[in-house]
Amino acid sequence: MPQESSNHVNPENWVDAYGDRLYRYALLRVRHHEVAEDLVQETLFAAVRACAKFRGSSSEQSWLYGILKNKIFDYFRKLAQEVCFTDLEFLEDEMSHKFIDQGWNHELGPAQWKPGPEAALNRKEFWKTFRSCLNKLPARVADVFVLREIEQLDTAQICETLGISQNNLWVMLHRARMALRECLELNWFEGKLKLGPKTNG
Amino acid sequence: MVSADQSSFSAPPNPSLLTGRNWIERRLVSYITNHTPTCRDVVRLLSQSMEVKLPITTRIKLRFHFLICIWCQRYERQLWALRKIASSVSERVADIYPETLSDRSKEQLKQSLRGTEP
Repeated sequence: MPQESSNHVNPENWVDAYGDRLYRYALLRVRHHEVAEDLVQETLFAAVRACAKFRGSSSEQSWLYGILKNKIFDYFRKLAQEVCFTDLEFLEDEMSHKFIDQGWNHELGPAQWKPGPEAALNRKEFWKTFRSCLNKLPARVADVFVLREIEQLDTAQICETLGISQNNLWVMLHRARMALRECLELNWFEGKLKLGPKTNG
Repeated sequence: MVSADQSSFSAPPNPSLLTGRNWIERRLVSYITNHTPTCRDVVRLLSQSMEVKLPITTRIKLRFHFLICIWCQRYERQLWALRKIASSVSERVADIYPETLSDRSKEQLKQSLRGTEP
């Protein structure tokens, strides 16, 4: 394990000690290898410049994660200035077949998940499916979902970072959840048991 | 489901909603159908309820809707399961992204850091 103290900081050691973990942390949030790599590099440079200020009150690792987290927010702020985050057309038509006159088409409605989600959490293959489902979402919709559900920012923080309204955020989250639920159901919770309308699920 | 402006007790256009029910059940289903949001609205409201507390009247309507709609009930459970899954992601990041920085990238990074004075 690397040293927790800043007394003998050697930035080169950070690359071996924390590089991969920081990289995955960034990759999970930005989902682009090059961007994640750039963010790790920026983080380590910023850490070198700021290491005099590091007093060792937190671990070196959490200090670096803190810097990376800020870099990731900066990345999203910049991205929001360059691209439109309010992709409100998404799924409007794709999901319409699931409803008949605004009610579920019962052949296509939510199936019972067997085995339940708790069992899935410990399966490596499940997480591959999760990644592939997340990657199928339109990029901006996935970004919003990641910031809300994985980074666990609150509504106000996301709206401020991305410069979108609360209503737009809710619509995008709704669509992300709907599509992810559907994708996980089709690709993981395959043991579909369609129940009649009177049966409790 | 049917829209709110249709008369009470009119049959919901989705035929499977009434399959296998007796006369009283059919009336009850139709009544609830006409007085609660449509499934399409319910799924939107369920997602919204994860962000903000819905008005009490809306929450009551959702509970009544669940009496006749197993699909929306399941949808709600699965949304919360999805939140639980997402909250576990950080612990399983190595399963989701097994990728690591390449040796070449690490070497380049080290070289760059050598040239950066603290």
